[in-house]
Amino acid sequence: MNDAPDLELDTAWMERMGEWGTTAQPGKRGLTLEDIRIGRYGELPEESDNMSGRPRGAAERPEAFRIGGYTVRSKREIWLENATFLYEEALQRQWSSATDIPWETIEPLPDDLEEAECALCTFFNEVEFVAGDVPARWVANISPDFFEARNVLLAQVQDEARHMDVFRKRALANGGGLTRVTGATSGFVGSIDLSRDFTEMSSRMHVSGEGAVLSMFRMGELVGQNPAEKRMYRLCAQDEARHVAFGIMHLRYLHATAPDRHEEIEAYLDEAENLSLTGGTNPAGPQAETSEALAILLGGGKQHYDEGFRILLAIRKRQLKEYMQRVKSAGFGERFENGRSPVPGRIAALS
Amino acid sequence: MTQASRVKKLTDSVAHIEISPPRLQWMGHSRQWGTRVKKGEHGLRLGDLNVGIYGEIPQHWEDQSRRPRGAADLPGMPPLPYHLRSKHQIWADSAADLYEEAIQHRWIPATDIPWSELSALPDDVERAMCQVLTELMQAANAELESITYWQEQMSYGYHEVKQFLAVAALTCARHIDAFRKRCLANGGGLGLESRGRMNRAILESRGGWTEAVVYIYLLRGFYIQNQYRLLLAHAHNAAEREIFANCLADHSRHMSYALDHLKYAITQQDGQAAVIQTLLSLGESTLARDIREPVQRSALAVVFGGGVEGGRQEGMATWHTMVRQSIHDYLDACEWLGIKRNMIQRRLNALLPPDEQLVPPERG
Repeated sequence: MNDAPDLELDTAWMERMGEWGTTAQPGKRGLTLEDIRIGRYGELPEESDNMSGRPRGAAERPEAFRIGGYTVRSKREIWLENATFLYEEALQRQWSSATDIPWETIEPLPDDLEEAECALCTFFNEVEFVAGDVPARWVANISPDFFEARNVLLAQVQDEARHMDVFRKRALANGGGLTRVTGATSGFVGSIDLSRDFTEMSSRMHVSGEGAVLSMFRMGELVGQNPAEKRMYRLCAQDEARHVAFGIMHLRYLHATAPDRHEEIEAYLDEAENLSLTGGTNPAGPQAETSEALAILLGGGKQHYDEGFRILLAIRKRQLKEYMQRVKSAGFGERFENGRSPVPGRIAALS
Repeated sequence: MTQASRVKKLTDSVAHIEISPPRLQWMGHSRQWGTRVKKGEHGLRLGDLNVGIYGEIPQHWEDQSRRPRGAADLPGMPPLPYHLRSKHQIWADSAADLYEEAIQHRWIPATDIPWSELSALPDDVERAMCQVLTELMQAANAELESITYWQEQMSYGYHEVKQFLAVAALTCARHIDAFRKRCLANGGGLGLESRGRMNRAILESRGGWTEAVVYIYLLRGFYIQNQYRLLLAHAHNAAEREIFANCLADHSRHMSYALDHLKYAITQQDGQAAVIQTLLSLGESTLARDIREPVQRSALAVVFGGGVEGGRQEGMATWHTMVRQSIHDYLDACEWLGIKRNMIQRRLNALLPPDEQLVPPERG
């Protein structure tokens, strides 16, 4: 058998390439993914038959192996109109927990405040584990024809790794330590793990779960006891807002393109609203351990618990209002008018 | 508005609500209180946190919940499907440092590449560059799909590795992004999709993360690394130089983790070296077929030779040198890892110059 390599130059492939003559131009924000959505390269299939993992627009090769194993192949199952924007923004707004947080501004705190902050950091570790694991699981199942959406999910996985990292750093940087886990990720947040459909997962994780956590991060100005913590929460909120935007924009796309799935989506929202947003598993809700930690931080110590809890209730009202606004923006706002959703009633009870 | 007035405004509407006293059952459960890690010269790094119990990295992590390492347990937590719970299955001592380095060395294809420096190339060179990048996009895609498949199965006892891989997966996406932009910004387009033999071997490597690492990095990694190296040396403009320099640095980081992990796995797990040896014996043939595949080989030669004409001699000679270097790098790594490669698969062996071949070619 002759194993010597054939070193002849083959140029036949030069006639078998994708659409030729493409000259994308950089814009004000550089050369973005949006700028290269031109010609055939910008055409997204409604149903992807790409099972070999080829980049969208590359020339097909009949003998290529079907190695993709993609289960998410319908545009409506995954798409959102601003995926390119969210991905580019995610890259622009990456930050380092090692060097972008002014750790030197942390000062020793009274034990109750330190323990409350550490409890919160332990909880956020658990939560961010979910928000990193689950999108990662879906990435390899999504056709690369929709790579823009996949890229946003990959950026989220990295964001969550950094959040976990920054909260662990905070817990171990000021004379405290990690506390006991809450188990929250085995209850409501854990149910995100169970989703067998991408949109179901996204509505649970991005819209309900991360939406609630975003409201908590936005309390950072009030919860944070020093510039390091305030900055930590601010940067995390910025990332989290992007993740929530993914879910809202995906739901909006689905609302517009898949009327046959409206009732199913309403059912996911029913679950989320009954179990998490208005029930005991809301991390800022009335019965959660994290609520007690938040109240201590908001009030400035155990002795001001009631005052802190009232601030938390006010923030919780805002959390619910923000949720309503997001769901309305996705096109599912009727549920707040027709009595289906318990959220307006909860807001009224807090007024 | 002052903080006090903001708070008053916030709480006025809920002032009437009666507040139940706290139960505070979550207090007093820390397994190690009094930890105070200080930032160093390079900030507060992930590895700095490994002090006391927080730095105890067990050989096996039984916990299938999302309990952070060092946090106190809550009995009764239902298990989650974390199948990789032994340290030898994923660990590398360098993971925490590589994670921080990856964060510090992040780059943005949209704005960190001087796209205005691109200039029109002869049609054959443009086609060759676009073809090379199309295949590299698929290699990066297989890498990220493999990482993300395994990531969620990795236990949180070894969070440093999960964090590093989270960054590595986005880095792969960034490479695909940069290559696609390069292909579509200079009058060209994408090329012909890959035949995909090695991509297939990587994606079908489902026996364990270590086995996937063997195929992605030990076996194919040096071939990819040397392509980046040579593409950097043959870059036509500042934009291409920046792309390939960044990709080379990123890929080298991934290789560092991989070799560190394989070394750890081999030294900690009896029989692991033999398993890897078997995998390599099977995989080398697949890699050799991919390397010898005419499309990518010719496209690389055209880039290295500055056109079809130059590609026939000079370009192909450079390609051959690159392949030779890749195989030697691979063999050196195997030796460092303690994996015997006295013989390599004959198709791979035949890519070496006759005087460097490990076994003589079979006589017809």
